[in-house]
Amino acid sequence: MKRLILTVGVLATMAALSLGFAQKSGGTLIAAWAQDPVGLDPQIASARSSLEVLENVVDKLVALDPQGKVIPSLATSWEVSSDGLTWTFHLRHDVKFSNGRPMTAQDVVYTYTRMLDPATGSGQKYLLGSTQSVTAPDDYTVQFHLKTPNVALVAHLAAQASVGIIAKESVDNGTINTQPIGTGPFMITNYQPGSELILKKNPYYWQQGLPYLNEVDIKIITDESVRQTALISGDVDWAISVPPQSLGQLQNDPNLVVDKTSAGAYWYIGVNLKNQYLKNPKVREAINYAINRKDITDAMSFGTGVPTQDPIPSSSAWAYDYAPYSYDPAKAKQLLAEAGYPDGFRMQIMPTTQYAQSVRGAQVIQQELGQVGIKVTIKNLEWAQWLQEEGKGNYDTYVCSWNGLVDPYDFFYAQQRTGQVFNFTGYSNPQVDKLLDEGNVTQGFAQRKAIYQQVNKMVVDDAPYIYLYNPANIQVYQTYVKGYAARPDQNIDFVKTWLDK
Amino acid sequence: MSLRYLLQRLATLLLVLFGVSILTFAIIPLVPGSPARVTLGVQATDASVAALEHKMGLDRPLPVQYWSWLSGIVFHGDFGTSLISGKPITEQVAHRLPATLALALAALLIGLLIALPSGILSALKPGSARDLGVSVMSQIGVSIPDFWLGILLILLFAQILHWLPSSGYEPVSQGLGAYLRHIVLPAVTAGVISGSIMARFVRSAMLEVLGNDYVRTARAKGLAEQRVIAKHVLRNAAITVVTIIGLQMATLLSSVVVVEIIFSWPGLGSMALTATLQRDYPVLQASVLLFAASFAVINLITDLSYVLLDPSLEYA
Repeated sequence: MKRLILTVGVLATMAALSLGFAQKSGGTLIAAWAQDPVGLDPQIASARSSLEVLENVVDKLVALDPQGKVIPSLATSWEVSSDGLTWTFHLRHDVKFSNGRPMTAQDVVYTYTRMLDPATGSGQKYLLGSTQSVTAPDDYTVQFHLKTPNVALVAHLAAQASVGIIAKESVDNGTINTQPIGTGPFMITNYQPGSELILKKNPYYWQQGLPYLNEVDIKIITDESVRQTALISGDVDWAISVPPQSLGQLQNDPNLVVDKTSAGAYWYIGVNLKNQYLKNPKVREAINYAINRKDITDAMSFGTGVPTQDPIPSSSAWAYDYAPYSYDPAKAKQLLAEAGYPDGFRMQIMPTTQYAQSVRGAQVIQQELGQVGIKVTIKNLEWAQWLQEEGKGNYDTYVCSWNGLVDPYDFFYAQQRTGQVFNFTGYSNPQVDKLLDEGNVTQGFAQRKAIYQQVNKMVVDDAPYIYLYNPANIQVYQTYVKGYAARPDQNIDFVKTWLDK
Repeated sequence: MSLRYLLQRLATLLLVLFGVSILTFAIIPLVPGSPARVTLGVQATDASVAALEHKMGLDRPLPVQYWSWLSGIVFHGDFGTSLISGKPITEQVAHRLPATLALALAALLIGLLIALPSGILSALKPGSARDLGVSVMSQIGVSIPDFWLGILLILLFAQILHWLPSSGYEPVSQGLGAYLRHIVLPAVTAGVISGSIMARFVRSAMLEVLGNDYVRTARAKGLAEQRVIAKHVLRNAAITVVTIIGLQMATLLSSVVVVEIIFSWPGLGSMALTATLQRDYPVLQASVLLFAASFAVINLITDLSYVLLDPSLEYA
């Protein structure tokens, strides 16, 4: 008996040890990015290509596990006061910045105070919700003082690198936009805009034994077919995206892994509610019946997306499948006639050259709306001009996406609530406002879900946004790249990645 | 060639650059879009755009911005910092200059290897099958889209044959082998097109000279044909050819943007394009100035070379 126990014990220990020794430390991952980062100041940069780099350079108070649940990161625990106005986070004691300096609560206070300061010009401070100030009662405790309760705050503090903790030194010496100093697994050692960015292992990283990689060599390869060739020929180990039409070919390549997951994102048509025709709800309803979402999704995503009439992807626990519309051009024509436009009307749609899928989508939409009498002209603009026109409301409709969404708040609040920062359509429904405010303060998953389902229904009925599809998040890499997984929150996370070669 | 002439040319060059800089500074802000909005993306609020534009110094009056920029260049040799990346522009230019020069020179070399033999040989037997062949080839070369040729070469040599890397630039410090292997495909892509353009000019320059009286005289004098070609024809055709080489060189330095993008080649052309798309005003100003200067300098060198080729020319 003793012999048996001993044997089992030894075998179990060996098994446990061998699991621990499977990963190999060291090596350089050569990663192909699709676009150049647009600034690297975590609190200002908004481009996904910037955030994707920064996720490996800064850490947040909390993080999201692959299923989207909030887990501890720099903070080990947190609680909210009974009135919902004070959030308290307890910090780890063993965290250091990549320059060796220990991180304390004062750094957290500094980061968020800078974010809230209007002079900083942060476009991401909406993530802090109704936070008015952040204080540090002691070196390892941080308190957020809110004006009104905000249940989504902790999810937002986990969402993306924008809420990562930075070191004051990088702001003071003016390198915050080129080489921000954070507590993340890697640090930026070299950045050549337009060509290359080198991440080296943070020697002071607080998670013991991590990261496994010594270096991540990010190469910016903007042409998608060249990026694909670089993967196939082995010039790069990992690519952030590939032409979706090549997925079949890549899946058959024995040297490559196609890592696909549904993304917390959606593509939509934004409708300018000040437009004389589009302000009529029957017209928007007609458009919803005139378009064939399956065709649009196939054209835009080459079949990798999931057509939808609601924003939250079905893989999310918050998903709600409300689908009142169908592809019915006859009904669309009837609705247009009822609205007073039996012969249709003229309208513009504004995609952007920045996203080829938006142009393809616009072409299909133009054709389908033409069938019911709506004559659509396509105003295809390059990104900077598109942003200008969208920001100023100079459009009838546009095609765009929202990405990196986790909490139901993300899918509705800033875009659909009256007067909110990203409400570019001019949508204003007092009932929706009331529900959204309620969703902000309600605890409990079931109760919140019920609230957002009502919001979902109203927004889909009112159609300030016409939802098209939920895209997939797809990365492709060599089979020897281990410890990486594509995430629904679209974060690029190399902390546990290692090379099996 | 007098010193006075040289100084005159340099003074003109500076004047041209000054005029170009004012024109660019005046026109660029008229284009809709702002670097603040590009940085903030869809998450731009009017307040954050205003705050960022203030940080970028874009709310100052244009003349103030111009003077601040100009004085930085003239007194400190500092082109400023990128509004988008925050990196010093001089550093960015210094990083991209070797790659740009390398690609331009390599492409020019390949172009000349194509253009000179084919242009000369076809001119010597005009109307022959050889001439027709060269004409057709150069027509194809001129019509080929550079992105098509580039991607084709990448597919063939990188993906199928695995002989060459698919993209990127390796400085010589990383090893001559790596440097050459990375520069081959982009240089061939740009060089084939450049060479096809130059071939036609070489041919017509040669034909023009071959039709001249002094050539007939030289032949009548009994000089060997090779000597006629070498001593009289080439020398005189060279002026036109050198002109076209100069123009091609200037183009290869600034306008091979598509080749740079396909091959992820860190060149000045793609830097200028990105700056345009991102409304990165100081980078764009610096690029335009650099291109104008390079055109003017190449022009000057070409003009000076005429004197070497034709001593009868004189510059007061």
